[in-house]
Amino acid sequence: MEDTNAQHTAWGPVRFLHHVEDGLLVVLLMSMILLAFGQIILRNFLDTGFIWIDPLLRVMVLWIGMIGALVATRENKQISIDVLTRMLPPLLKHISRIITRLFAATVAGIIAWNSILFVLDEWSVGNKAFSNIPAWSLESIIPIGFGIIALRYLLEAFSDIYRVFVRRRA
Amino acid sequence: MIFAVVLILLALLGAPLFSIIGGSALWGFHSSEIDLQAVTIEIYRLAEMPVLLAIPLFTFAGYVLGESQAPTRLVRLTNAVLGWMPGGLAIVSLIACALFTAFTGASGVTIVALGALLYPALKQAGYSERFNLGLITTSGSLGLLFAPSLPLILYGVVAQQVTLKNPVSIDDLFLAGILPGLLMVALLSGWSIWNQPRGQLKKKVDAKEIFAALKESAWELPLPLLILGGIYGGYVVVSEAAAVTAVYVLVVEVFIKREIRILDLPRIIRESMVLVGAIIIILGVSLASTNYLVDAEIPTKLFDAIRTHIDNKWTFLILLNLFLLVLGMMLDIFSALVIIIPIILPIAVGYGIHPIHLGLIFLANMQLGYFTPPVGMNLFIASYRFNRPVMELYVATLPFFFILLVAVLVITYWPALSLALIN
Repeated sequence: MEDTNAQHTAWGPVRFLHHVEDGLLVVLLMSMILLAFGQIILRNFLDTGFIWIDPLLRVMVLWIGMIGALVATRENKQISIDVLTRMLPPLLKHISRIITRLFAATVAGIIAWNSILFVLDEWSVGNKAFSNIPAWSLESIIPIGFGIIALRYLLEAFSDIYRVFVRRRA
Repeated sequence: MIFAVVLILLALLGAPLFSIIGGSALWGFHSSEIDLQAVTIEIYRLAEMPVLLAIPLFTFAGYVLGESQAPTRLVRLTNAVLGWMPGGLAIVSLIACALFTAFTGASGVTIVALGALLYPALKQAGYSERFNLGLITTSGSLGLLFAPSLPLILYGVVAQQVTLKNPVSIDDLFLAGILPGLLMVALLSGWSIWNQPRGQLKKKVDAKEIFAALKESAWELPLPLLILGGIYGGYVVVSEAAAVTAVYVLVVEVFIKREIRILDLPRIIRESMVLVGAIIIILGVSLASTNYLVDAEIPTKLFDAIRTHIDNKWTFLILLNLFLLVLGMMLDIFSALVIIIPIILPIAVGYGIHPIHLGLIFLANMQLGYFTPPVGMNLFIASYRFNRPVMELYVATLPFFFILLVAVLVITYWPALSLALIN
């Protein structure tokens, strides 16, 4: 399993981004636990409750899922089939890694691009979600998430290309 | 068609599965001239399903339990209560693993967390090496059918996306899993009694030890009751039960037992949320691909095509079992769920199979896939954990495979076993 070593050697701003992602996971999960538990107490024992808690919790699931997926990409823990690649010789293994990373980057990139268009649309129309929160702000995690995932796979592919084809010759 | 072949090839080469499913959704929408922003709208539906909240909360609670001393206490307790039986220790292992897997969602955590405790104990009790390895590897996915396991919840979520006459409720799934799960435990227990080492000393029931073990586990013991009782008593829905569990586990392991330091929590959160993220992103893109499948009426067309060749439910079930076994060897349970269920659920319902019954057939088959050679995930985890060649584990798990295969066949061809508790 390839570990989080990249984290320690990463360029300053990138390392900062990693900390932000990890920090957001902690903040989000802790708030989700508190909000969900608080709502149960309010509802069952005090016969009250806040209507904004339930929709907020649902959006937080999307956010924590997308950010979790960002970290999974960074730590090479996205779910994939590794039966075949395990048996390939090293050079072919690298090439298949490059091809699949480029493919993943393309798909994530297309989703990110269309999500940007969608979010911009929502912004200009001025749609509102619950409690008058602008809908685009809640949706924005989709382009952000897929955008960063696309970049990560692209960088991985390039660094693999460099390692296999450039450094090898030198 | 060519595109489908390319996608399968890329998947086999190790492309992340979300990109495969996402790619097929993009291609589907593109070829029916639908704006690709539809994919975003579908992904955003993740924020419109209340039950999904249960996934991060239960996963986190499971990871916290796994890091605490709860597994040790669980083994001590089951040993005190069941250790006197013939094959007692093996049965202890089975039950402890099943309970633990139900909470941690069969992500291989069971083998790592409980294997370390059970392996030396079984060895000392005189069980053969081969039996020992086979038992622990097999137990790594036992308990998948018990609430609140992640695959059960996810099946409910995916099945709800497919419009049916009677929608699948997760509460019903939790109940339906109990008897088939017990069947698996019972069959494996029988095999353990058969294989107990000869001349094993009979352990006496030790009331003092039982009491001590009970006292030690007093905090974790109410958990299954809290969850099932809360849901079926009508006090909480599934996602609320998950919130109560998360709070309860946090308070017990961090503040009462003090086995997990607050400083460890960020790491545990990150590890558990990476798994959640990997599942959620696949679920998100699969909402889009499912929507396309349903729009293009692909399951209906497939059903019509299959019906001309297979005219009865039983032939269909045999083929389904074979197909799922092969699938389980290739794909992990979460991806298999979101890719295959939207296609086969409408077909199965067309053959008169109850959606909840199909869920149990599917999950039971997938459970076998975890340790089916050559690529079952738990085989590799056990090989890594116990430092044994994978070949040795293939041989060790073989008898267990056939026993659970019997269970899978019973579950498949005896629908009442799955449906008895929900009617």
